[in-house]
Amino acid sequence: MSIRNLIFIGLFLLGMVIAMVPENTTKPYKLTAEDMLIEVQGAAEMVDADEVAHWIISKDPSLQLIDVRSPDEYQTYHLDGAINIPLSVILKDEYLDYLDQGIKMNVLYSNGTMNSHQSWMILRQLGFENNYVLQGGLNYWFDTIMNPQAPSVYSPNEEFAKYDFRKAASGALGGGGVVAMSAPAKTKADKPKVIRKKKKKAPAGGC
Amino acid sequence: MGPLVPQEIIGASWNLFIAFGIGIGFGFVLEQAGFSSSRKLAGMFYGYDTVVLKVFFTGAITAMLGLLFFSLFGWIDLSLIYVNPTFIWSAIVGGIIMGAGFIIGGFCPGTSVCAAAIGKIDAMVFIGGIVLGIFFFAEGYPLLKDFYMAGSFGPIKVSDVLGISGGVMAFLVIIAALVMFKLGELAEKKWPREEY
Repeated sequence: MSIRNLIFIGLFLLGMVIAMVPENTTKPYKLTAEDMLIEVQGAAEMVDADEVAHWIISKDPSLQLIDVRSPDEYQTYHLDGAINIPLSVILKDEYLDYLDQGIKMNVLYSNGTMNSHQSWMILRQLGFENNYVLQGGLNYWFDTIMNPQAPSVYSPNEEFAKYDFRKAASGALGGGGVVAMSAPAKTKADKPKVIRKKKKKAPAGGC
Repeated sequence: MGPLVPQEIIGASWNLFIAFGIGIGFGFVLEQAGFSSSRKLAGMFYGYDTVVLKVFFTGAITAMLGLLFFSLFGWIDLSLIYVNPTFIWSAIVGGIIMGAGFIIGGFCPGTSVCAAAIGKIDAMVFIGGIVLGIFFFAEGYPLLKDFYMAGSFGPIKVSDVLGISGGVMAFLVIIAALVMFKLGELAEKKWPREEY
């Protein structure tokens, strides 16, 4: 038999094999277990609630909040500008453009941090970048940003600065309306300035 | 793992460098197989030489089987492979113009560059024609735009339209290719030419 006919038969057989096997439709994970362990230990996916509050108030265009809770919970309450991509449907193609992109910074949040972390793990292993997790989730958000507790008088100045910022942020984001308390000793001159800015924006944000 | 370039396992600059190497290899193989002779391409239409059909179809089948088996083994993510969007009317008209150019000029765009490289004057004239065609198309684009964009189907695949798996489609293409190869050889016997 000539080489040519052998190749003919070979191609034919390979074609038969590929016609009979099912198509491989699995989305392969791009990160190995070792890569993932390093990522998880680095905890670089966490973003601070204070930072997120600052971005929301300053209307940072690169921020994309993603609510991974159920649509009902999303309807009841969600952060300003958040879109709803529940964990159960996160692999659907219609959300792919939001989750696999290189422009915006996606911040995932849920009530605690479990569901948001689960979402983040899946997205990260698929090789998607620019996805982050809101540290502490919505519960922590309410405790710290929306209803901040005044630090004790012996606290370091940074604590007071943080508290002042949270007070202002809470006003801007529609939280409890207690009067802001200033630190006994001011650390930096620009800190109060930032707060005043927030207060001016408060009515706009509240509406 | 793959595809290597969209996943940035191979960077953009290496991509061009590798493409350059593949291009040189492709040109060498074309020339070495005698494709820089316009008689060889014209033979396809007159039936005395069907090597062009066999070579390009074999290349297509090899690439097709390779992609499908790589996908089967999880070596490549087919969803990341670029699929050309289909504009049905411009595809049909463009195919007719290109086919006519094949017979009249005796080259396809790739083989014309190959033949020009070994100094064939008709191939250089052919390339001049390509450049002129590009120029007039670009200048006339506002007039042609509506037709050019008509019948847009997006990046569809025949297998999706027919509702069969990519593997079955590949098998059908292989059978079609083998049948065409046999027909081509019959044609070569029926309309032989001694010297060309």
